[in-house]
Amino acid sequence: MTPNTSMRFYCDESRCIDCHGCEVACKEAHHLPVGVNRRRVITLNEGVIGQESYLSIACQHCSDAPCEQVCPVDCFYIRADGIVLHDKDKCIGCGYCLYACPFGAPQFPRQGVFGSKGAMDKCTYCAGGPEDTHSEKEYQLYGQNRIAEGKVPACAAMCSTKALLAGDATSVSKIITERVLRRGSGRGASESAMWNAAYK
Amino acid sequence: MTNHLGDIQNSKCIFIIGANPAVAHPVGMVHILRAKELGAKIIVVDPYFSRTASKADMFARIRPGTDIAFMYGMIRHIIKNDLYDKEYVKNRVYGFEETAKEAEQYTPEVVENITGVPANQLIEITNMMARAKPATLIYNQGLTQHSVGTGNTRQTVILQLLLGNIGKPGGGCNILRGHDNVQGASDMSNLAHSLPGYYGLAEGAWKYFCSNWKVDYAWMQSRFKSPDLLHKNGFSVATWRFGVLEEQNAKNNAGTMIRGMMNIGSGLSSISLTDTTKKAMEKLELCVIVDPYFNDMGAIADMKNNLFMLPAASQIETSGTVTATNRGTQWRNKVVEPMYECKTDHEILFQLAKKLGYYDELVRAMGDGKGGFTWPEDATREYTQAIRSIGLQGITPERLKAQSENWHMFDPKTLKGSGPFKNEFYSLPWPCWSEKHPGTPVMYDDSIPVSQGGMGFRVRWTPKTPDGTSLLSEVELKGTKSGAKGHDHITAANVEEITGIKLSDEEKEKVKGKSWSTDTSNILVEKAMQAGLCPYGNGKARTVVWEWVDKVPKHREPLHSPRPDLIAQYPTYKDKDNHYRANIKYESRQNEKVWAKEYPMQLLTGRYVEHLGTGTESRSSIYLAELAPEPLLDIHPDKGHDLGLRDGDMVWIYGTTGLRIKVKCKFSTRVAYDTASMPYTYSGIYQGESILGRYPKGLAPYAVGEGSNTIISYGFDIVTTTPETKCTLCRIEKA
Repeated sequence: MTPNTSMRFYCDESRCIDCHGCEVACKEAHHLPVGVNRRRVITLNEGVIGQESYLSIACQHCSDAPCEQVCPVDCFYIRADGIVLHDKDKCIGCGYCLYACPFGAPQFPRQGVFGSKGAMDKCTYCAGGPEDTHSEKEYQLYGQNRIAEGKVPACAAMCSTKALLAGDATSVSKIITERVLRRGSGRGASESAMWNAAYK
Repeated sequence: MTNHLGDIQNSKCIFIIGANPAVAHPVGMVHILRAKELGAKIIVVDPYFSRTASKADMFARIRPGTDIAFMYGMIRHIIKNDLYDKEYVKNRVYGFEETAKEAEQYTPEVVENITGVPANQLIEITNMMARAKPATLIYNQGLTQHSVGTGNTRQTVILQLLLGNIGKPGGGCNILRGHDNVQGASDMSNLAHSLPGYYGLAEGAWKYFCSNWKVDYAWMQSRFKSPDLLHKNGFSVATWRFGVLEEQNAKNNAGTMIRGMMNIGSGLSSISLTDTTKKAMEKLELCVIVDPYFNDMGAIADMKNNLFMLPAASQIETSGTVTATNRGTQWRNKVVEPMYECKTDHEILFQLAKKLGYYDELVRAMGDGKGGFTWPEDATREYTQAIRSIGLQGITPERLKAQSENWHMFDPKTLKGSGPFKNEFYSLPWPCWSEKHPGTPVMYDDSIPVSQGGMGFRVRWTPKTPDGTSLLSEVELKGTKSGAKGHDHITAANVEEITGIKLSDEEKEKVKGKSWSTDTSNILVEKAMQAGLCPYGNGKARTVVWEWVDKVPKHREPLHSPRPDLIAQYPTYKDKDNHYRANIKYESRQNEKVWAKEYPMQLLTGRYVEHLGTGTESRSSIYLAELAPEPLLDIHPDKGHDLGLRDGDMVWIYGTTGLRIKVKCKFSTRVAYDTASMPYTYSGIYQGESILGRYPKGLAPYAVGEGSNTIISYGFDIVTTTPETKCTLCRIEKA
């Protein structure tokens, strides 16, 4: 069996503590303008005892990316490793991708009340864009290219509890499987069963 | 911490009281979550349903300031149901009877009445904690910042002793504080009651340090206005303000009021009574603040003159040691040279010492003794070789640097090294008794010899109680050659008798008149370890401190109690004069009026994960400010409706200090109906007015708001003067 080398994010809900470290790491790494959130931590059931939880969300780099399907100018492209990127020079800022995206990932920097939306900005998986790797233009438009340096994205690298995992699907899946098995050993089989967790 | 962060993963139950590591110590939280994955249960006891509590198997909402009663409830249940470790208590604990006697009155029903935690939940929590072997206990400022703060922290240890959890991997009392180098600051005694290393202020301690510093004791005495001041507690970070403002305190301070203040890196507005700090600063003749950022007190105090702000270099612009929460030391390297006009802290202090005329004495113990030294290596050698009370003598710059170059050779869960470091634990957690000693990852562990990292530290104890009862342990330490069990601390006088080892004449000459903590030849320590004994002795832990007002911890209502009906039965302390040089009010404040009538709500304060301390640094970060731009008052929706509020309304909070602050409210069920909560980390708005105009151009932070300490109630710990920020009453009105 060949390993699945497509790149994935996974946020382990039982580990995430709502510290926003991933968000700040992302903004700091790419020097994003205030208001542009390539990654966000959301809180569910805040203050409800026994039900509160957190999740870190960004572009999920979908295999069958809806943004790519609806883009009228075809500015998206999917790399061989599954990372979904786009060309800001082609983007017309129409916002179709935002309608299509199930995660609200596309960001539109605004200026002033009636200001233009400008080209879309989103998580690049720290893999830059179509410009020459590590060129000044790539950095200005898309931020750091950590993938080309062999590093994981800044958000996952920063995560204090290792809730947010990034890497090829096989490696991420291995870590999660180990955690699920460990949890199962201490808390009874019912809670370890992945099917229960998946369809709860 | 008695144990270390990775060791939490060995725990079967994690009892968290008065701490919120998910917010205050996110990097520590991962170990708690890993333990949970391995099957540990997590219990959180807190007035606030925190992010840490969201990960708990059980959460109990406790009334602020009632932790001692709660833990006595646990102790009573543990004793009644034979859940305590009898063998451990018999061998290693003194004072069990007194503890059991005091606990007797705290039935589950009494505890429910005092703490608000239902009786059956107390029992369930206690059973869960007591049956898990081992269980660890984590606390933080939620326990310490009370008038009974010292009692609170003692109580955690007593609970863990009864359960036999002290001195075991996966057990212990572990304090997750979340500030860089807090343990180091404590070890260096950046405090007013002791010389470095917990040596105290007695003449012997001063003489020991003077010899290490290579200065005359008489010269040291001459630096003080009167020689007796050497042996008295100074003003603390909480009490100095009363030394400026209240004439009555002059007599505690050799007849003078404080006239100048130099603050290096302390967040003055994170202490209660901001208004008192402001008034004190405005009265001072000289006020110097050294900080990498513009310290917010420079703007809160309305000063045109006498205020100097010196730009300090940050931690990445200097190098040296930092001591982490597990007593482990690490070497930190300089990344860049100090930028612009800022200077490192030591450079500022050296220049000050030159101006004041004692630079030569200050640097005499470093390098060639004439000012030729290497910073910070020689400073590290000076302090580690002087501080033997907690066993720093085995820590050298060379060992620390070698470790930090080779992180990959250490196991993060056990700290144990491999390869060339196979005889070391990472960061050489103190005590590290000699250059061959591995460090002590789990304190008071008697299952391994002291020479391999067993036992811990203890200063200032005697082998007998005042009534003559022996305090010696009944456990024989691992590796003991003579079969001796408990023993006194090792001195020149008793070393041969206790260890059974004969000293040569040369050795005798070297250790003459010394004890294990003052013998710089380290011979006494080495002989103790050679005999398989412990340098500081092997005694029982005592649950009774006969020198203190509360010989065993006692529940006492906060100064500003929401339960006036309980004050008669559980009154606070008598007023304490000359407490860190200030006359401090306790019962006179508690009985001044029925506070709860005018101020019916309890106000909790804590942190946002984005901001640290007073927030001078974090509120100056644009991205952190974006996430947490202003303080919000968490208030229960039912209470909000009763007060005629809507979610997001501005409210006035009136404090028992007579002042008020204006903040936005946020409806939240994190708090109980009669409790509200807000962060303390903001400034820039003071009693509803913006003070941003007082910041120098370009230095105002991005995130501004009211700081809670403007209205936090008066009150200080009976032993340490730590402010009682965690028990405050207030009144909330729509603005």
